[in-house]
Order: sequence, then structure tokens, then C-alpha cells
Amino acid sequence: MGRTVGIDLGTTYSLIAYQDKLEGAPKCIPGPYGTPLCPSVVSVDADGAIVAGEAARRRLLTQPERTIYSVKRLMGRGPADVQEELKIFPFRIDPGSTNVIRVRLGDRVFTPPEISAFILRELKSWAEDYFQDSVDRAVITVPAYFNDAQRQATRDAGRLAGLEVLRLVNEPTAAALAYGLHEQKRGRVAVYDFGGGTFDISILKLVSTTDGDIYQVLSTNGDTHLGGDDIDNTLQSVARGEISAQGVDLATHPETVQELRKALIAAKHELSEAGKTTVKFALPNGAVYFREITRAEYDGWIRPIVERTMAPVRQALADAKLASAEIEEVVLVGGSTRVPLVRRTVTEFFGRRPHAELNPDEVVALGAAVQAGILEGGVKDMLLLDVTPLSLGIETMGGVVAKIIPRNSTIPASAQELFTTGVENQTGIDIHVLQGERELAKDCRSLARFQLKVPPGPPGLARIEVKFLIDASGILQVSARDLRAGKQHSIEVLPSYGLDDAEVERILEESIEYAEQDFSERQLIEARNEAEIMLHATEKALAREQVEAPGELPADELRALDGAVAALREALAGADYKRIRAFVDVLNQATMPLAERMMNRALSTVFEGKRLDEV
Amino acid sequence: MGEVRRPFFLPGGGAPLPNHEEFPSRLFDLAGQDHPIMSAPSTTAATSITCGNCSAATGGAHFCPACGKIQPLPPGTDYFAFFGLQRKLALDLPELERRFHSLSWRLHPDNFMRASELERQLSLDRSSQLNDAYRTLRDPVARVEYMLGLAGMRKEGQKKQQAPPELLEEVFELNESLDRLREARESGENAAETAGLRGKLEAAQQKFESSLADADQELTQVSAQWDRALDSGTDDATKKKLMERMNSILNRRSYIRNLVESTQKVLAGT
Repeated sequence: MGRTVGIDLGTTYSLIAYQDKLEGAPKCIPGPYGTPLCPSVVSVDADGAIVAGEAARRRLLTQPERTIYSVKRLMGRGPADVQEELKIFPFRIDPGSTNVIRVRLGDRVFTPPEISAFILRELKSWAEDYFQDSVDRAVITVPAYFNDAQRQATRDAGRLAGLEVLRLVNEPTAAALAYGLHEQKRGRVAVYDFGGGTFDISILKLVSTTDGDIYQVLSTNGDTHLGGDDIDNTLQSVARGEISAQGVDLATHPETVQELRKALIAAKHELSEAGKTTVKFALPNGAVYFREITRAEYDGWIRPIVERTMAPVRQALADAKLASAEIEEVVLVGGSTRVPLVRRTVTEFFGRRPHAELNPDEVVALGAAVQAGILEGGVKDMLLLDVTPLSLGIETMGGVVAKIIPRNSTIPASAQELFTTGVENQTGIDIHVLQGERELAKDCRSLARFQLKVPPGPPGLARIEVKFLIDASGILQVSARDLRAGKQHSIEVLPSYGLDDAEVERILEESIEYAEQDFSERQLIEARNEAEIMLHATEKALAREQVEAPGELPADELRALDGAVAALREALAGADYKRIRAFVDVLNQATMPLAERMMNRALSTVFEGKRLDEV
Repeated sequence: MGEVRRPFFLPGGGAPLPNHEEFPSRLFDLAGQDHPIMSAPSTTAATSITCGNCSAATGGAHFCPACGKIQPLPPGTDYFAFFGLQRKLALDLPELERRFHSLSWRLHPDNFMRASELERQLSLDRSSQLNDAYRTLRDPVARVEYMLGLAGMRKEGQKKQQAPPELLEEVFELNESLDRLREARESGENAAETAGLRGKLEAAQQKFESSLADADQELTQVSAQWDRALDSGTDDATKKKLMERMNSILNRRSYIRNLVESTQKVLAGT
């Protein structure tokens, strides 16, 4: 069994972390560029090869039509849901999309979970390189306000990346776990999580019990389409307006649009530190867009975005039956909380300085790693009790939604409903499951429809009990029992959005041809290469030693060398990469004295005939 | 393919939820099995229940006293029994929370990640029941409603919104004000009239809120009488009367709460 990790699958960046058993603390794993931040960008080559992360981000500038960012915005959504995003984001939705969005990248078409899976695979390979061991299970974080379809899409992405998703954890709750561990906090805590594409607020109560610390979420709220992306888009619309006033239309220059976006994001970062910044940007016609932006002007542009976060904050407090003054700690999470206006707004609202000691980019991944530690059994004194962000209901007569599990119910949560027929010889009962706070079905999110089949008979005879259960990941499970027959009643629930199981299986099978090499196989190849190089180098050194210094090699050293060579050859015949690596190390040790003598000889040759002061 | 119809709901089969009375289409109650709780047993009469693993008698406990394995939920377990509590309506909330936390540590799916498929399912069942039970019992109104549901006292005909006579005048006036407000909006904003109507609505709102508080207080009083009746072993007829009173308070309360909510909505919209 391989390792278990925690993953923050973010809109802009994704991270992977693990619970370090020796230190009892979570740690982020850096990638090949030295940073733990993996850009959530995926790009497809002309030959169909896929890259994710930093390499893909670089291609945003050179091959924007083959590259996608912010795919998290599309997770678990239907084509009709994303019309607004399409005005702003360069997503190329395939016209054949029905209930699942399909995105065109070059000449291939992918669903959002498949694209997210490429990001997860990239992170998985970072961790496997780091551990020199396989990684097969993960805790993945999602925005607290994600609905069932968005959660299922995230879980599908994990599966497609070859990971068993042990649990989905809400991002603000994960952050609270990491903070709690770090600061030993107690009491009522508000986590304000403003990321690249999503906003969440969670109110928690941290309680010490004799069994350990309980992190109990009291309420949560948010907006799954509100984030730093919106700030970037505001800056872009200002800049593009001004550029078109200069007589340049960027619509025909997608590469330039991406470069402009990059320049404006850099300006946004500068405005978090400095009172003003300057954008100098070369336009396709040779002219330059030159713009000084002051903090005050910037604040004016983004104030409406920051204000939009406050309605969910008020609602979450009301649902927790708390006043803002009753919150004892405020924690800031997510890159967008670096924006000074955000900090000021939060500080003023709660009347206290928020905590931001932990890196806001890393804290969610760290929390996910802690939960992974809990599920592996390594962390025993922490328990997370989270809630479902949205009410679950079923459609009744007149299109009215009957709520069966209210929002902010601690999960797992369940509700049983008893159904019967209304007319003679009715053969089925249609059930429509919805999520949301509105009264009418048409205003709520459709989760699934299914039909209970009933044997024909007089009305009211059938008695079918349906159990709706929201599991600890916030995902709905439905089961039914025929009370008259006293047995389990089979039902097939078709998701309104997203992939069904058969489709996930099909993609998994198809993806094998594109999948990266199996980890241990790759390790074996690398270890064998290393062994061959080592054996070859040893042989060469021994041959040279006989020419340069015949008879000088001590007998015991020669015996040790011969033994190490034989052992390595024997390991090489097998397929255990760890064994091969171990004997490479043994041979390496055995050749040290020989290498040292050869080096000394080489040096004395170089210095021969030279006086000491000449050296 | 036969005719497919919209569902009929039979809420008697599941745990009654606080908001049931808001959805009259769901009040089609056929389940209505009366539970023999008049004499208020605190634990289920489940001595015959045995452990699926070692066959020891479990008495409906969360874990088998002999082998320690998590147990299936016996049919008919009620929320009070789940917490090891009597069916009394006055609850020590900090103590309820303490029990909730303690049971969470033991029943949560986190503890069963490496257990068998069956045990994982049982943990899911039990921990969801724990959360459902805590959500219901910590809310005094939902608690009364649940207790009455167990006693078969919140069935069709007994569960409906009742307009309290003393509020009828206000309700008529409220409807009139709402109509006029709508007209004023449709015929273009008449600031003076809108402000006047707003004032009336706010006054009505205050009245409704105080009626709601009265209903809550009355419910608390009758709940206390119920608990005393249980302690003193009062006869079933008296208990039934108390339950009928609580039922009627709940019906009234539900009507008033709807008034408060709809007035709030209108006020928020002006």
C-alpha cells in the first residue's frame, strides 16, 4: 500500500502535502521548480501529449488555444451554468456538451474532471519522486460551498488520477485544522477563505474534550464563483477598454490577451505591497499601453467584489446564531486575502485583527494532510465535524421543494421519507432530489432524478422508504427499502450533472494509453540505469588502476569490490528497484578508497615539478 | 410503461422534521403507527437484540458489550434513547453537547477507515443518526415536535397551521397593507405612502414577534408540566391532554412564524 497525501486542488494553484510522522506536523511537497505551488493549468501538445503545472502555464502565452486555466470553475456544472464565465474566460466548450461540459483543447476534448485529473497526476508524481514510493490515497479539499455535483466531479478527478479519495474536506475547515494544530486555538473561530475562484466563510467552535480536540463547524456560506480571478478580470476590462480607446482591438490576438493578463496580475501583486504601480505593455501595433495605477483607484475598482463576500459572512453568523463580536479569532486563508482592502474590510467587520501567520497559499493543503493523518490513524486526538452547506430537498406537487436535510446540518446526516402511489396501477414514483435554499424546484440545483418502481396495485398500497444520506464528504447517497416486502429496493440514481460511474470507467480505460508510466516501473528503469552506470564506471576504474598502479590495490579492498559488484549484478537480475538502489549504494561505498587514491594520483601528476608556492 | 406520478409523502416513516408543517402536500400520513410511549420508557425494549458478530445480547447499545463491534441501529430507536436520555422535554444542553461530542469520537466514520465494509456502513448509519438526533433535540421546538411525533400525536389533522384568533385583526390589516404596498409600487413609487405602509408593516411585525415569544413561553410551560407528569406517574388521559395542548401551540406557532417570515421578506424588499 502506498502513501496517503492531502491535496488542495485550487482554481489558480494546487498543492500536495503529507503528515510527517516524525515531526507530527504537516508539510508541503515542493515540485521540480522548488515551489510547492503547482499552477492549475493543463496544456495539450500538437501530438496529443499532455503537460500540467508550470510547463503548461508557460504555454498559456505561446499556445493559448491548447491550454486551459481555472478549470475548477467548470467542475460539476452544465453548459447552461457557465454562460457568464464564457464571456470572461477563454474556455472553448464543445458544442456537443449536454449535461457534462466538454472542453476543447487543440484537437482533443475533455471533461473538467479529466482536466483536473491531469493536475492531480502532476502533483502525485511530485510526491512519488519525493517519497520514492507510490502514492495511492488522498484527502482532497473543496470549497465549503461546493454542491453535490461539484464534489462528485472532484472525487471523479481523483479517481481518474489513480487516487482513492478517502475524503473531501472543506477548504476553510482544513485551514482551521492546520491553524488549530499550529496555535492550539480554542473557542469560536471565523475562517475567511478568499481564493483564486471561490469564496468561503466558515464559523467553527474548537472544543477540548477528554478524547481530544473537536473542530465543530457551526455554519458555512460562500460563493463558488467569486475570487481573485474576478479581480484580474476587472483589471483586464479596465485595461482593454483603455487599449481599445487607443484604437487597438485585442480580440484577434489571444496571445497578447494572455500576456496582458499576466502583466495585470503582476500589477495586482505589486498593489498588495505598494501604494501604486505602473503597467507598461507593448501592443501588437507597436504602441505601448502605459498606465499608473494607485492603490486608491484599485480599491475603488475592486470594492464591489470585496463587498460581495460580506453577505455570505453575515448569513453564516446568523446561521451560527452569533454576533460578529462573539467571534474570538478570525483566520485569513487564500491568496486573495493578501489584498489590503480585503484585510481592512474583514478587520473592520469583526473588530479584530485577523490571523495570517501561516502562508495563506499553503494552509489548506497542510490541513488536508492533517486529515489524511487522521484517516490513516496516525493522528488520534483530532476530530473534524463538518456541515453540509446547502439544504437538501425533494420536489413535491406544484414544483415546491420540501427540505429534508437543512443546511448547516452536521454530516453525516440523513433523512427518511416514506413514499406510496396515488392512483390505481401506478408503476413508478418519480423522485427529484434538489439542493438549495429557494422554495421552488426550478430555482434549486437539480442533483438527481430517479424512479421507484412499484408493483401494480391499488393506490396507497406500496410503502417504499427512501433514505437520503449525506456522507462525511458531503456527497449524497440514496437507498430505498420496500417496507411491505421487507427488503432492499434497488434504485438507480442518475446524476443531473457530471459523469456516471460507467463513464468514469470508460475514461479510465481510455486514459491508459496516455497515462504516465506506472510508478514502480519507472523507478525500476531509473534504478537499472543507475546500476549499469555504476558497474561500468567500476570496471573502467579497476582496469585503469591496473595500468597506472599495478599491484597496489589491497586484497581486502579488491574482495569487497568484487563482492559488491556480484551483489549488484544479482539484484539487477531481479525487479526490485529498492534492492537495486541499496546495492548501488554498497558498491558506491566500496569504491570510495579506490576513487580517493585515483584522485590523489591525478592531483600529484598535475602538481609534479611545481614548487609549493606555485600551487 | 405505466403511469408515473409525483411522489406522495408519508412523513410518519421517518423522523419528523421541524419544518414539516410548512409543506401541506406532505401531510398525507398513512404510516401513523402509534408508539407506546405514554409511560415513557427511556431505552428501547430491545433486550432480544444480539450482536451480529458474537451473538451476545446488546440491548440495542452502540457497541457490543462483549466484543466491542459497532452495532446496527435497532428499529424504533428514538433520539432520546440514542443519547441514553429519558423522553423529557427539559434538557441540560451542555450535557447533551458533551454526550454528542463523546459519541462523535466513537461513532464517526474517521474511526472506521480500516474496518470492514459492514462496519463502515454501520458507522455511517449511527453517526448520521447521532447528528440528526442532536440537531433535533438541541432545538426546544423541534424536540417537542419530535416527542409528539413519537407518540403519534403529529399526524394529519393534528398538524396544521392555526390562525390564533387574537391575531386575526392584524392579519386582515396586514393583507390590506400588502395589497396597497403592491399597488403603490406598480403605480410608480409614492414615497410618502410607501413609508407609511412600511411603518404599519413594522408595527405588525413587532406584534407578530411578541406573539411568537408568547407561544414559545407557553410551550416551555407546558413542556415543564409534561416532565412533572412523567415524574409523578400521572395517568394517560392527563398526558394525552398535555400533548394535545402542545400540539395546538405548535400549530399556532407555525402560523405565526410564517407571518413573521413573510413580513420580513416584504420589509427586506422595500
